[in-house]
Amino acid sequence: MPKGDMAGDMAGDMAGDMGGDLAPKIDLQGVGKRFVTREREVEALQPIDLAIQDHEFVALVGPSGCGKSTILNMIAGLLPPSAGVVSYDGAAIGGLNRAVGYMTQKDTLLPWRTAADNVRIALELKCRAMPWDEANERVAQMLTLVGLTGFEKHYPAELSGGMRKRVALARTLIYEPETLLMDEPFGALDAQLKLLMLDQLQDLTRQRRMTVVFVTHDLGEAITLADRVVVFSARPGRIRAIRPVALPRPRDVFRIRFTEDFAHLHESLWDELKDEVTRGTEV
Amino acid sequence: MAAALSTPLGRTLARVALALIILAAWQYLPSANVRFWMSGPIEIVARLLVWLRDGSLWENVGATLFAMALGYAIGTATGIAIGLLLGLMPRLNRVLSPYIAALYAMPKIALAPLFVIVFGIGLESKVALVAITVFFLVLNATLDGVHNVDRDLTRALALMGATRLEVIRKVLIPATLPWIFTGMRIAVRYAFTNTLLAELIASNSGIGFMIEYYSGVFDATGTYAAILVLVIMSVGLTELLTLIETRLAHRGANR
Ligand SMILES: Nc1ncnc2c1ncn2[C@@H]1O[C@H](COP(=O)(O)OP(=O)(O)OP(=O)(O)O)[C@@H](O)[C@H]1O
Ligand SMILES: [Mg+2]
Repeated sequence: MPKGDMAGDMAGDMAGDMGGDLAPKIDLQGVGKRFVTREREVEALQPIDLAIQDHEFVALVGPSGCGKSTILNMIAGLLPPSAGVVSYDGAAIGGLNRAVGYMTQKDTLLPWRTAADNVRIALELKCRAMPWDEANERVAQMLTLVGLTGFEKHYPAELSGGMRKRVALARTLIYEPETLLMDEPFGALDAQLKLLMLDQLQDLTRQRRMTVVFVTHDLGEAITLADRVVVFSARPGRIRAIRPVALPRPRDVFRIRFTEDFAHLHESLWDELKDEVTRGTEV
Repeated sequence: MAAALSTPLGRTLARVALALIILAAWQYLPSANVRFWMSGPIEIVARLLVWLRDGSLWENVGATLFAMALGYAIGTATGIAIGLLLGLMPRLNRVLSPYIAALYAMPKIALAPLFVIVFGIGLESKVALVAITVFFLVLNATLDGVHNVDRDLTRALALMGATRLEVIRKVLIPATLPWIFTGMRIAVRYAFTNTLLAELIASNSGIGFMIEYYSGVFDATGTYAAILVLVIMSVGLTELLTLIETRLAHRGANR
Protein backbone atom coordinates (compact mmCIF):
# COMPACT_ATOMS: atom_id res chain seq x y z
CA MET A 1 0.00 0.00 0.00
CA PRO A 2 1.23 3.47 -0.82
CA LYS A 3 -0.27 5.03 2.27
CA GLY A 4 3.05 5.71 3.96
CA ASP A 5 4.34 7.60 0.96
CA MET A 6 1.42 9.87 0.44
CA ALA A 7 2.06 13.54 0.79
CA GLY A 8 -0.18 16.54 0.35
CA ASP A 9 -3.11 17.69 2.46
CA MET A 10 -5.18 14.61 1.70
CA ALA A 11 -2.59 12.13 2.85
CA GLY A 12 -3.26 12.44 6.58
CA ASP A 13 -6.89 11.39 6.66
CA MET A 14 -6.55 9.00 3.76
CA ALA A 15 -3.89 7.09 5.59
CA GLY A 16 -6.23 7.11 8.56
CA ASP A 17 -9.01 5.58 6.51
CA MET A 18 -6.86 2.97 4.94
CA GLY A 19 -4.89 2.21 8.05
CA GLY A 20 -5.69 -0.84 10.10
CA ASP A 21 -7.30 -3.69 8.26
CA LEU A 22 -10.56 -2.13 7.23
CA ALA A 23 -12.69 -4.18 4.91
CA PRO A 24 -11.91 -3.27 1.30
CA LYS A 25 -14.43 -1.26 -0.74
CA ILE A 26 -14.29 -3.73 -3.61
CA ASP A 27 -13.14 -7.28 -3.05
CA LEU A 28 -12.61 -9.88 -5.76
CA GLN A 29 -12.00 -13.31 -4.26
CA GLY A 30 -11.14 -16.12 -6.64
CA VAL A 31 -13.07 -14.32 -9.34
CA GLY A 32 -12.91 -15.94 -12.76
CA LYS A 33 -15.02 -15.61 -15.88
CA ARG A 34 -15.59 -17.90 -18.80
CA PHE A 35 -17.94 -17.09 -21.63
CA VAL A 36 -19.81 -19.94 -23.20
CA THR A 37 -20.97 -19.17 -26.70
CA ARG A 38 -22.65 -21.56 -29.06
CA GLU A 39 -19.52 -23.00 -30.65
CA ARG A 40 -16.89 -22.55 -28.00
CA GLU A 41 -15.92 -21.54 -24.54
CA VAL A 42 -13.63 -18.58 -23.86
CA GLU A 43 -11.82 -18.32 -20.59
CA ALA A 44 -11.61 -14.55 -20.26
CA LEU A 45 -10.29 -14.38 -16.72
CA GLN A 46 -8.56 -16.97 -14.58
CA PRO A 47 -9.49 -16.80 -10.91
CA ILE A 48 -7.91 -13.67 -9.39
CA ASP A 49 -7.84 -12.00 -5.97
CA LEU A 50 -7.88 -8.24 -5.83
CA ALA A 51 -8.92 -5.94 -3.00
CA ILE A 52 -9.49 -2.26 -3.62
CA GLN A 53 -9.61 0.06 -0.62
CA ASP A 54 -11.99 2.91 0.00
CA HIS A 55 -10.81 6.10 -1.76
CA GLU A 56 -8.16 4.19 -3.62
CA PHE A 57 -7.31 4.84 -7.28
CA VAL A 58 -6.41 1.59 -9.02
CA ALA A 59 -5.36 1.34 -12.64
CA LEU A 60 -5.72 -1.91 -14.60
CA VAL A 61 -3.42 -2.42 -17.56
CA GLY A 62 -2.97 -5.42 -19.78
CA PRO A 63 -3.10 -6.62 -23.37
CA SER A 64 -6.29 -6.44 -25.34
CA GLY A 65 -8.74 -9.20 -24.52
CA CYS A 66 -7.28 -10.02 -21.10
CA GLY A 67 -10.57 -9.35 -19.29
CA LYS A 68 -10.25 -5.78 -18.03
CA SER A 69 -13.69 -4.70 -19.20
CA THR A 70 -15.04 -7.98 -17.89
CA ILE A 71 -13.76 -7.12 -14.41
CA LEU A 72 -15.47 -3.70 -14.51
CA ASN A 73 -18.69 -5.32 -15.72
CA MET A 74 -18.60 -7.70 -12.78
CA ILE A 75 -17.97 -4.89 -10.28
CA ALA A 76 -20.92 -3.01 -11.78
CA GLY A 77 -23.04 -6.13 -11.37
CA LEU A 78 -23.76 -6.30 -15.09
CA LEU A 79 -22.12 -9.72 -15.36
CA PRO A 80 -22.01 -12.51 -12.79
CA PRO A 81 -18.60 -14.14 -12.20
CA SER A 82 -18.40 -17.79 -13.17
CA ALA A 83 -16.16 -18.47 -10.19
CA GLY A 84 -15.56 -16.69 -6.91
CA VAL A 85 -17.27 -13.73 -5.30
CA VAL A 86 -17.20 -10.02 -6.06
CA SER A 87 -18.12 -8.02 -2.97
CA TYR A 88 -18.81 -4.36 -2.57
CA ASP A 89 -18.80 -2.80 0.91
CA GLY A 90 -18.49 -6.30 2.32
CA ALA A 91 -21.57 -7.73 0.61
CA ALA A 92 -21.57 -10.00 -2.43
CA ILE A 93 -22.87 -8.21 -5.52
CA GLY A 94 -26.06 -9.69 -6.92
CA GLY A 95 -27.73 -7.61 -9.59
CA LEU A 96 -26.88 -4.04 -10.55
CA ASN A 97 -24.44 -2.21 -8.31
CA ARG A 98 -25.90 1.29 -8.27
CA ALA A 99 -23.19 2.62 -6.00
CA VAL A 100 -20.83 2.82 -8.95
CA GLY A 101 -20.71 5.21 -11.85
CA TYR A 102 -19.54 3.35 -14.93
CA MET A 103 -18.03 4.96 -17.97
CA THR A 104 -18.01 2.06 -20.40
CA GLN A 105 -15.53 1.44 -23.20
CA LYS A 106 -18.22 2.06 -25.79
CA ASP A 107 -20.09 5.23 -24.92
CA THR A 108 -23.76 4.85 -24.11
CA LEU A 109 -24.93 8.37 -24.95
CA LEU A 110 -28.57 8.66 -25.95
CA PRO A 111 -28.53 9.64 -29.64
CA TRP A 112 -31.75 11.66 -29.42
CA ARG A 113 -30.43 13.89 -26.64
CA THR A 114 -28.05 16.81 -27.07
CA ALA A 115 -24.70 16.82 -25.27
CA ALA A 116 -26.12 18.94 -22.45
CA ASP A 117 -29.25 16.79 -22.13
CA ASN A 118 -27.10 13.66 -22.02
CA VAL A 119 -24.94 15.09 -19.26
CA ARG A 120 -28.01 16.11 -17.27
CA ILE A 121 -29.78 12.79 -17.39
CA ALA A 122 -28.60 11.45 -14.04
CA LEU A 123 -29.87 14.62 -12.36
CA GLU A 124 -33.34 14.13 -13.85
CA LEU A 125 -33.84 10.87 -11.99
CA LYS A 126 -36.08 10.73 -8.95
CA CYS A 127 -33.28 9.37 -6.78
CA ARG A 128 -31.43 12.66 -7.00
CA ALA A 129 -34.10 15.09 -8.16
CA MET A 130 -33.06 18.73 -8.07
CA PRO A 131 -34.42 22.04 -9.33
CA TRP A 132 -34.07 22.49 -13.08
CA ASP A 133 -31.92 25.63 -12.76
CA GLU A 134 -29.50 23.98 -10.39
CA ALA A 135 -29.18 20.95 -12.66
CA ASN A 136 -28.53 23.15 -15.70
CA GLU A 137 -25.91 25.10 -13.82
CA ARG A 138 -24.08 21.92 -12.93
CA VAL A 139 -24.35 20.69 -16.51
CA ALA A 140 -22.73 23.92 -17.74
CA GLN A 141 -19.95 23.56 -15.15
CA MET A 142 -19.36 19.98 -16.13
CA LEU A 143 -19.22 20.78 -19.85
CA THR A 144 -16.69 23.51 -19.12
CA LEU A 145 -14.66 21.07 -17.08
CA VAL A 146 -14.38 18.67 -20.01
CA GLY A 147 -13.80 21.51 -22.46
CA LEU A 148 -17.05 21.27 -24.38
CA THR A 149 -18.62 24.71 -23.94
CA GLY A 150 -20.20 25.69 -27.21
CA PHE A 151 -21.24 22.12 -27.98
CA GLU A 152 -24.19 21.93 -25.57
CA LYS A 153 -26.75 21.69 -28.34
CA HIS A 154 -24.90 19.15 -30.48
CA TYR A 155 -26.20 15.63 -30.82
CA PRO A 156 -23.79 12.73 -30.24
CA ALA A 157 -23.75 12.00 -33.97
CA GLU A 158 -22.38 15.50 -34.55
CA LEU A 159 -19.47 15.08 -32.14
CA SER A 160 -16.04 13.53 -32.69
CA GLY A 161 -15.05 10.32 -30.91
CA GLY A 162 -13.01 12.21 -28.33
CA MET A 163 -15.84 14.68 -27.72
CA ARG A 164 -18.30 11.87 -27.16
CA LYS A 165 -15.93 10.34 -24.64
CA ARG A 166 -15.81 13.63 -22.80
CA VAL A 167 -19.59 13.96 -22.79
CA ALA A 168 -19.76 10.43 -21.35
CA LEU A 169 -17.17 11.42 -18.74
CA ALA A 170 -19.14 14.51 -17.77
CA ARG A 171 -22.33 12.46 -17.57
CA THR A 172 -20.69 10.04 -15.14
CA LEU A 173 -18.88 12.61 -13.03
CA ILE A 174 -21.83 14.98 -12.65
CA TYR A 175 -23.63 12.85 -10.09
CA GLU A 176 -20.48 12.12 -8.13
CA PRO A 177 -20.85 8.41 -7.54
CA GLU A 178 -18.78 7.14 -4.61
CA THR A 179 -17.03 4.68 -6.89
CA LEU A 180 -15.98 5.34 -10.45
CA LEU A 181 -15.35 2.62 -13.01
CA MET A 182 -13.67 3.94 -16.15
CA ASP A 183 -12.83 1.92 -19.23
CA GLU A 184 -10.23 3.67 -21.38
CA PRO A 185 -11.88 7.05 -20.94
CA PHE A 186 -9.17 9.02 -22.74
CA GLY A 187 -8.25 6.63 -25.52
CA ALA A 188 -9.44 8.91 -28.31
CA LEU A 189 -7.89 12.15 -27.07
CA ASP A 190 -4.74 13.89 -28.26
CA ALA A 191 -1.80 14.10 -25.84
CA GLN A 192 -2.40 17.69 -24.67
CA LEU A 193 -6.11 17.27 -24.12
CA LYS A 194 -5.47 14.01 -22.35
CA LEU A 195 -3.22 15.74 -19.83
CA LEU A 196 -5.84 18.40 -19.19
CA MET A 197 -8.44 15.70 -18.61
CA LEU A 198 -6.12 13.75 -16.30
CA ASP A 199 -5.60 16.90 -14.27
CA GLN A 200 -9.34 17.52 -13.92
CA LEU A 201 -9.98 13.91 -13.09
CA GLN A 202 -7.32 13.88 -10.38
CA ASP A 203 -8.75 17.04 -8.81
CA LEU A 204 -12.29 15.82 -8.88
CA THR A 205 -11.72 12.27 -7.65
CA ARG A 206 -9.41 13.43 -4.85
CA GLN A 207 -11.77 16.25 -3.80
CA ARG A 208 -14.77 13.93 -3.68
CA ARG A 209 -12.62 11.12 -2.32
CA MET A 210 -13.92 8.65 -4.85
CA THR A 211 -12.80 5.08 -5.22
CA VAL A 212 -11.67 4.63 -8.81
CA VAL A 213 -10.98 1.60 -10.97
CA PHE A 214 -9.42 2.83 -14.17
CA VAL A 215 -8.68 0.69 -17.23
CA THR A 216 -6.10 2.00 -19.66
CA HIS A 217 -3.58 0.96 -22.29
CA ASP A 218 -1.41 3.94 -21.46
CA LEU A 219 1.12 3.18 -18.72
CA GLY A 220 1.91 6.87 -18.31
CA GLU A 221 -1.72 7.63 -17.63
CA ALA A 222 -1.87 4.81 -15.09
CA ILE A 223 1.22 5.97 -13.20
CA THR A 224 0.13 9.61 -13.25
CA LEU A 225 -3.21 8.93 -11.62
CA ALA A 226 -3.13 5.68 -9.70
CA ASP A 227 -2.24 4.60 -6.19
CA ARG A 228 -1.64 1.10 -7.53
CA VAL A 229 -1.19 -0.29 -11.01
CA VAL A 230 -2.32 -3.84 -11.70
CA VAL A 231 -0.73 -5.52 -14.71
CA PHE A 232 -2.63 -8.38 -16.31
CA SER A 233 -1.28 -11.21 -18.42
CA ALA A 234 -2.59 -11.98 -21.88
CA ARG A 235 -5.79 -13.98 -22.14
CA PRO A 236 -6.83 -15.79 -20.08
CA GLY A 237 -6.21 -12.86 -17.77
CA ARG A 238 -4.25 -13.31 -14.58
CA ILE A 239 -2.65 -10.70 -12.34
CA ARG A 240 0.96 -10.56 -13.35
CA ALA A 241 2.12 -7.77 -11.05
CA ILE A 242 0.77 -5.12 -8.72
CA ARG A 243 2.90 -1.99 -8.27
CA PRO A 244 2.19 0.76 -5.78
CA VAL A 245 2.81 4.23 -7.17
CA ALA A 246 4.77 6.02 -4.50
CA LEU A 247 4.60 9.45 -6.07
CA PRO A 248 3.45 12.25 -3.77
CA ARG A 249 0.03 13.82 -4.24
CA PRO A 250 -1.28 16.08 -5.54
CA ARG A 251 0.64 15.22 -8.67
CA ASP A 252 1.51 17.66 -11.38
CA VAL A 253 0.20 15.71 -14.33
CA PHE A 254 2.06 17.95 -16.78
CA ARG A 255 5.52 17.46 -15.28
CA ILE A 256 5.47 14.22 -13.38
CA ARG A 257 6.36 12.34 -16.55
CA PHE A 258 9.79 13.90 -16.49
CA THR A 259 10.72 12.78 -12.97
CA GLU A 260 13.07 9.94 -12.29
CA ASP A 261 10.66 7.96 -10.12
CA PHE A 262 8.14 8.05 -12.89
CA ALA A 263 10.67 6.80 -15.42
CA HIS A 264 11.73 3.92 -13.16
CA LEU A 265 8.20 2.82 -12.52
CA HIS A 266 7.33 3.12 -16.17
CA GLU A 267 10.26 0.92 -17.10
CA SER A 268 9.52 -1.75 -14.54
CA LEU A 269 5.85 -1.85 -15.53
CA TRP A 270 6.75 -1.98 -19.19
CA ASP A 271 9.02 -4.96 -18.47
CA GLU A 272 6.06 -6.80 -17.03
CA LEU A 273 3.72 -5.75 -19.78
CA LYS A 274 5.79 -6.16 -22.92
CA ASP A 275 6.00 -9.99 -22.83
CA GLU A 276 2.28 -10.14 -22.33
CA VAL A 277 1.54 -7.75 -25.15
CA THR A 278 3.67 -9.75 -27.56
CA ARG A 279 2.15 -12.97 -26.26
CA GLY A 280 -1.29 -11.51 -26.73
CA THR A 281 -0.69 -10.73 -30.38
CA GLU A 282 0.66 -14.20 -31.13
CA VAL A 283 -2.55 -15.91 -30.08
CA MET B 1 -43.45 19.60 -80.54
CA ALA B 2 -40.96 17.53 -78.57
CA ALA B 3 -39.18 20.70 -77.50
CA ALA B 4 -42.42 22.22 -76.24
CA LEU B 5 -42.99 19.14 -74.01
CA SER B 6 -39.70 19.64 -72.18
CA THR B 7 -40.76 22.93 -70.54
CA PRO B 8 -43.04 22.90 -67.49
CA LEU B 9 -45.65 25.01 -69.24
CA GLY B 10 -45.56 22.77 -72.30
CA ARG B 11 -46.04 19.71 -70.13
CA THR B 12 -48.99 21.24 -68.33
CA LEU B 13 -50.63 22.24 -71.59
CA ALA B 14 -50.09 18.75 -72.97
CA ARG B 15 -51.69 17.22 -69.89
CA VAL B 16 -54.72 19.48 -70.11
CA ALA B 17 -55.06 18.75 -73.82
CA LEU B 18 -54.87 15.01 -73.20
CA ALA B 19 -57.56 15.26 -70.51
CA LEU B 20 -59.80 17.26 -72.81
CA ILE B 21 -59.39 14.76 -75.64
CA ILE B 22 -60.22 11.81 -73.40
CA LEU B 23 -63.20 13.60 -71.83
CA ALA B 24 -64.51 14.66 -75.24
CA ALA B 25 -64.13 11.13 -76.60
CA TRP B 26 -65.88 9.74 -73.51
CA GLN B 27 -68.66 12.29 -73.88
CA TYR B 28 -69.33 12.07 -77.63
CA LEU B 29 -68.14 8.73 -79.01
CA PRO B 30 -70.16 6.04 -77.15
CA SER B 31 -73.36 4.81 -78.72
CA ALA B 32 -76.62 4.87 -76.71
CA ASN B 33 -76.37 1.35 -75.30
CA VAL B 34 -72.69 1.67 -74.39
CA ARG B 35 -73.64 4.95 -72.67
CA PHE B 36 -75.70 2.90 -70.20
CA TRP B 37 -72.61 1.49 -68.48
CA MET B 38 -70.09 4.18 -69.42
CA SER B 39 -72.08 7.26 -68.49
CA GLY B 40 -70.38 10.55 -69.49
CA PRO B 41 -68.31 13.37 -67.96
CA ILE B 42 -71.09 15.92 -68.04
CA GLU B 43 -73.57 13.58 -66.35
CA ILE B 44 -70.98 12.67 -63.70
CA VAL B 45 -70.21 16.30 -62.86
CA ALA B 46 -73.93 17.07 -62.76
CA ARG B 47 -74.41 14.18 -60.31
CA LEU B 48 -71.58 15.48 -58.13
CA LEU B 49 -73.28 18.89 -58.04
CA VAL B 50 -76.53 17.25 -56.96
CA TRP B 51 -74.72 15.42 -54.17
CA LEU B 52 -73.00 18.60 -53.12
CA ARG B 53 -76.32 20.43 -52.93
CA ASP B 54 -78.24 17.73 -51.06
CA GLY B 55 -75.33 17.14 -48.67
CA SER B 56 -74.97 13.44 -49.37
CA LEU B 57 -71.40 13.93 -50.64
CA TRP B 58 -70.07 15.37 -47.39
CA GLU B 59 -72.11 12.96 -45.36
CA ASN B 60 -70.53 9.95 -47.04
CA VAL B 61 -67.01 11.36 -47.29
CA GLY B 62 -67.35 12.20 -43.61
CA ALA B 63 -68.59 8.70 -42.77
CA THR B 64 -65.60 7.10 -44.50
CA LEU B 65 -63.07 9.44 -42.93
CA PHE B 66 -64.65 9.13 -39.50
CA ALA B 67 -64.63 5.32 -39.56
CA MET B 68 -61.07 5.35 -40.82
CA ALA B 69 -59.86 7.84 -38.23
CA LEU B 70 -61.62 6.11 -35.35
CA GLY B 71 -60.34 2.67 -36.33
CA TYR B 72 -56.86 4.08 -36.88
CA ALA B 73 -56.83 5.80 -33.49
CA ILE B 74 -58.04 2.70 -31.65
CA GLY B 75 -55.63 0.42 -33.52
CA THR B 76 -52.66 2.71 -33.00
CA ALA B 77 -53.29 3.31 -29.31
CA THR B 78 -53.80 -0.36 -28.47
CA GLY B 79 -50.97 -1.44 -30.77
CA ILE B 80 -48.46 0.85 -29.07
CA ALA B 81 -49.68 0.04 -25.55
CA ILE B 82 -49.69 -3.72 -26.00
CA GLY B 83 -46.47 -3.60 -28.01
CA LEU B 84 -44.66 -1.79 -25.21
CA LEU B 85 -46.20 -4.09 -22.62
CA LEU B 86 -45.18 -7.27 -24.42
CA GLY B 87 -41.79 -5.75 -25.14
CA LEU B 88 -41.34 -5.37 -21.40
CA MET B 89 -42.53 -8.89 -20.66
CA PRO B 90 -40.31 -11.02 -22.86
CA ARG B 91 -41.52 -14.31 -21.39
CA LEU B 92 -45.17 -13.58 -22.12
CA ASN B 93 -44.14 -12.27 -25.53
CA ARG B 94 -42.36 -15.52 -26.35
CA VAL B 95 -45.47 -17.50 -25.42
CA LEU B 96 -47.72 -15.33 -27.56
CA SER B 97 -45.44 -14.69 -30.52
CA PRO B 98 -46.60 -17.58 -32.78
CA TYR B 99 -50.20 -16.47 -32.36
CA ILE B 100 -49.33 -12.86 -33.08
CA ALA B 101 -47.34 -13.91 -36.14
CA ALA B 102 -50.26 -16.00 -37.44
CA LEU B 103 -52.78 -13.21 -36.90
CA TYR B 104 -50.41 -10.66 -38.40
CA ALA B 105 -49.98 -12.74 -41.53
CA MET B 106 -53.70 -13.35 -42.00
CA PRO B 107 -55.44 -10.94 -44.42
CA LYS B 108 -57.80 -9.14 -42.02
CA ILE B 109 -60.35 -8.56 -44.74
CA ALA B 110 -61.42 -12.17 -44.22
CA LEU B 111 -62.77 -11.08 -40.85
CA ALA B 112 -65.09 -8.48 -42.37
CA PRO B 113 -68.14 -10.81 -42.68
CA LEU B 114 -67.59 -11.93 -39.10
CA PHE B 115 -67.56 -8.33 -37.88
CA VAL B 116 -70.84 -7.72 -39.71
CA ILE B 117 -72.38 -10.63 -37.79
CA VAL B 118 -70.99 -9.43 -34.48
CA PHE B 119 -71.40 -5.66 -34.81
CA GLY B 120 -74.12 -5.39 -37.43
CA ILE B 121 -73.99 -3.24 -40.56
CA GLY B 122 -72.72 0.21 -39.69
CA LEU B 123 -69.90 2.17 -38.15
CA GLU B 124 -68.85 -0.47 -35.63
CA SER B 125 -68.03 -3.22 -38.10
CA LYS B 126 -65.98 -0.83 -40.26
CA VAL B 127 -64.09 0.50 -37.27
CA ALA B 128 -63.42 -3.03 -36.04
CA LEU B 129 -61.85 -4.08 -39.34
CA VAL B 130 -59.69 -0.96 -39.58
CA ALA B 131 -58.69 -1.12 -35.91
CA ILE B 132 -57.58 -4.74 -36.04
CA THR B 133 -55.55 -4.16 -39.23
CA VAL B 134 -53.84 -1.10 -37.81
CA PHE B 135 -53.40 -2.81 -34.44
CA PHE B 136 -51.26 -5.64 -35.81
CA LEU B 137 -49.16 -3.34 -37.98
CA VAL B 138 -48.41 -0.98 -35.13
CA LEU B 139 -47.99 -3.82 -32.61
CA ASN B 140 -45.34 -5.46 -34.78
CA ALA B 141 -43.53 -2.20 -35.42
CA THR B 142 -43.51 -1.43 -31.69
CA LEU B 143 -42.23 -4.90 -30.79
CA ASP B 144 -39.49 -4.61 -33.42
CA GLY B 145 -38.57 -1.24 -31.94
CA VAL B 146 -38.42 -2.51 -28.37
CA HIS B 147 -36.30 -5.47 -29.42
CA ASN B 148 -33.87 -3.21 -31.20
CA VAL B 149 -33.29 -0.91 -28.24
CA ASP B 150 -29.62 -1.04 -27.33
CA ARG B 151 -29.51 -2.91 -23.98
CA ASP B 152 -26.34 -1.02 -23.09
CA LEU B 153 -28.38 2.18 -23.01
CA THR B 154 -31.05 0.81 -20.69
CA ARG B 155 -28.44 -0.76 -18.42
CA ALA B 156 -26.46 2.46 -18.27
CA LEU B 157 -29.51 4.33 -17.05
CA ALA B 158 -30.47 1.63 -14.57
CA LEU B 159 -26.94 1.78 -13.17
CA MET B 160 -27.39 5.53 -12.58
CA GLY B 161 -30.26 4.64 -10.30
CA ALA B 162 -33.19 5.01 -12.70
CA THR B 163 -36.35 3.17 -11.72
CA ARG B 164 -37.93 0.78 -14.19
CA LEU B 165 -40.45 3.44 -15.11
CA GLU B 166 -37.72 6.00 -15.71
CA VAL B 167 -35.84 3.58 -17.95
CA ILE B 168 -39.03 3.09 -19.94
CA ARG B 169 -39.74 6.82 -20.18
CA LYS B 170 -36.24 8.04 -20.90
CA VAL B 171 -34.79 5.26 -23.03
CA LEU B 172 -37.26 2.65 -24.17
CA ILE B 173 -39.97 4.93 -25.52
CA PRO B 174 -37.74 7.49 -27.24
CA ALA B 175 -35.70 4.70 -28.82
CA THR B 176 -38.84 2.94 -30.02
CA LEU B 177 -40.59 6.05 -31.37
CA PRO B 178 -39.04 6.00 -34.86
CA TRP B 179 -40.19 2.39 -35.28
CA ILE B 180 -43.68 3.26 -34.06
CA PHE B 181 -43.87 6.19 -36.49
CA THR B 182 -42.85 3.98 -39.38
CA GLY B 183 -45.58 1.51 -38.45
CA MET B 184 -48.13 4.30 -38.11
CA ARG B 185 -47.21 5.74 -41.50
CA ILE B 186 -47.62 2.41 -43.26
CA ALA B 187 -50.87 1.81 -41.38
CA VAL B 188 -52.55 4.94 -42.80
CA ARG B 189 -52.80 3.44 -46.26
CA TYR B 190 -54.02 0.12 -44.90
CA ALA B 191 -56.63 1.94 -42.83
CA PHE B 192 -57.95 3.74 -45.89
CA THR B 193 -58.08 0.62 -48.06
CA ASN B 194 -59.73 -1.45 -45.38
CA THR B 195 -62.35 1.19 -44.61
CA LEU B 196 -63.32 1.07 -48.26
CA LEU B 197 -63.31 -2.70 -48.39
CA ALA B 198 -65.52 -2.87 -45.33
CA GLU B 199 -67.92 -0.41 -46.96
CA LEU B 200 -67.95 -2.36 -50.20
CA ILE B 201 -68.71 -5.61 -48.41
CA ALA B 202 -71.52 -4.44 -46.16
CA SER B 203 -72.39 -1.01 -44.86
CA ASN B 204 -74.90 1.80 -45.00
CA SER B 205 -72.74 4.87 -45.46
CA GLY B 206 -69.42 6.04 -46.86
CA ILE B 207 -67.84 6.33 -50.29
CA GLY B 208 -67.39 2.57 -50.56
CA PHE B 209 -71.07 2.17 -49.80
CA MET B 210 -71.97 4.69 -52.55
CA ILE B 211 -69.92 2.80 -55.12
CA GLU B 212 -71.46 -0.47 -54.06
CA TYR B 213 -74.99 0.97 -53.94
CA TYR B 214 -75.03 2.74 -57.32
CA SER B 215 -73.42 -0.15 -59.15
CA GLY B 216 -75.97 -2.42 -57.47
CA VAL B 217 -78.82 -0.43 -59.01
CA PHE B 218 -77.00 -0.22 -62.38
CA ASP B 219 -76.54 3.55 -62.05
CA ALA B 220 -73.24 4.03 -63.92
CA THR B 221 -73.24 7.78 -63.43
CA GLY B 222 -73.52 7.45 -59.66
CA THR B 223 -70.84 4.76 -59.58
CA TYR B 224 -68.33 6.82 -61.58
CA ALA B 225 -69.07 9.93 -59.56
CA ALA B 226 -68.38 8.06 -56.33
CA ILE B 227 -65.18 6.57 -57.77
CA LEU B 228 -64.07 10.07 -58.77
CA VAL B 229 -64.58 11.22 -55.19
CA LEU B 230 -62.52 8.24 -54.03
CA VAL B 231 -59.68 9.14 -56.41
CA ILE B 232 -59.65 12.69 -55.09
CA MET B 233 -59.57 11.42 -51.51
CA SER B 234 -56.68 9.01 -52.20
CA VAL B 235 -54.66 11.71 -53.92
CA GLY B 236 -55.36 14.05 -51.02
CA LEU B 237 -54.29 11.43 -48.50
CA THR B 238 -51.10 10.61 -50.39
CA GLU B 239 -50.22 14.29 -50.67
CA LEU B 240 -50.83 14.79 -46.96
CA LEU B 241 -48.63 11.82 -46.05
CA THR B 242 -45.85 12.98 -48.35
CA LEU B 243 -46.02 16.43 -46.79
CA ILE B 244 -45.74 15.00 -43.26
CA GLU B 245 -42.93 12.66 -44.29
CA THR B 246 -40.83 15.36 -45.89
CA ARG B 247 -41.37 17.55 -42.83
CA LEU B 248 -40.22 14.75 -40.53
CA ALA B 249 -37.31 13.79 -42.79
CA HIS B 250 -36.27 17.42 -42.85
CA ARG B 251 -36.31 17.62 -39.07
CA GLY B 252 -34.42 14.34 -38.82
CA ALA B 253 -31.74 15.60 -41.21
CA ASN B 254 -31.32 18.74 -39.16
CA ARG B 255 -30.52 16.81 -36.00
N1 LIG C 1 -20.24 -11.25 -23.93
C1 LIG C 1 -19.18 -12.00 -24.28
N2 LIG C 1 -19.35 -13.21 -24.84
C2 LIG C 1 -18.29 -13.97 -25.19
N3 LIG C 1 -17.03 -13.62 -24.99
C3 LIG C 1 -16.78 -12.43 -24.44
C4 LIG C 1 -17.84 -11.56 -24.05
N4 LIG C 1 -17.30 -10.45 -23.51
C5 LIG C 1 -15.97 -10.62 -23.58
N5 LIG C 1 -15.65 -11.81 -24.11
C6 LIG C 1 -14.30 -12.33 -24.31
O1 LIG C 1 -13.62 -12.22 -23.08
C7 LIG C 1 -12.30 -11.75 -23.28
C8 LIG C 1 -12.04 -10.54 -22.44
O2 LIG C 1 -12.84 -9.47 -22.90
P1 LIG C 1 -12.73 -8.00 -22.31
O3 LIG C 1 -13.68 -7.16 -23.04
O4 LIG C 1 -12.87 -8.05 -20.84
O5 LIG C 1 -11.23 -7.61 -22.70
P2 LIG C 1 -10.45 -6.26 -22.41
O6 LIG C 1 -9.31 -6.60 -21.52
O7 LIG C 1 -11.37 -5.21 -21.94
O8 LIG C 1 -9.89 -5.92 -23.85
P3 LIG C 1 -9.69 -4.48 -24.54
O9 LIG C 1 -8.48 -3.90 -23.93
O10 LIG C 1 -9.50 -4.80 -25.97
O11 LIG C 1 -10.91 -3.68 -24.27
C9 LIG C 1 -12.14 -11.52 -24.77
O12 LIG C 1 -11.41 -12.60 -25.30
C10 LIG C 1 -13.53 -11.53 -25.32
O13 LIG C 1 -13.54 -12.17 -26.56
MG1 LIG D 1 -12.12 -3.56 -22.73
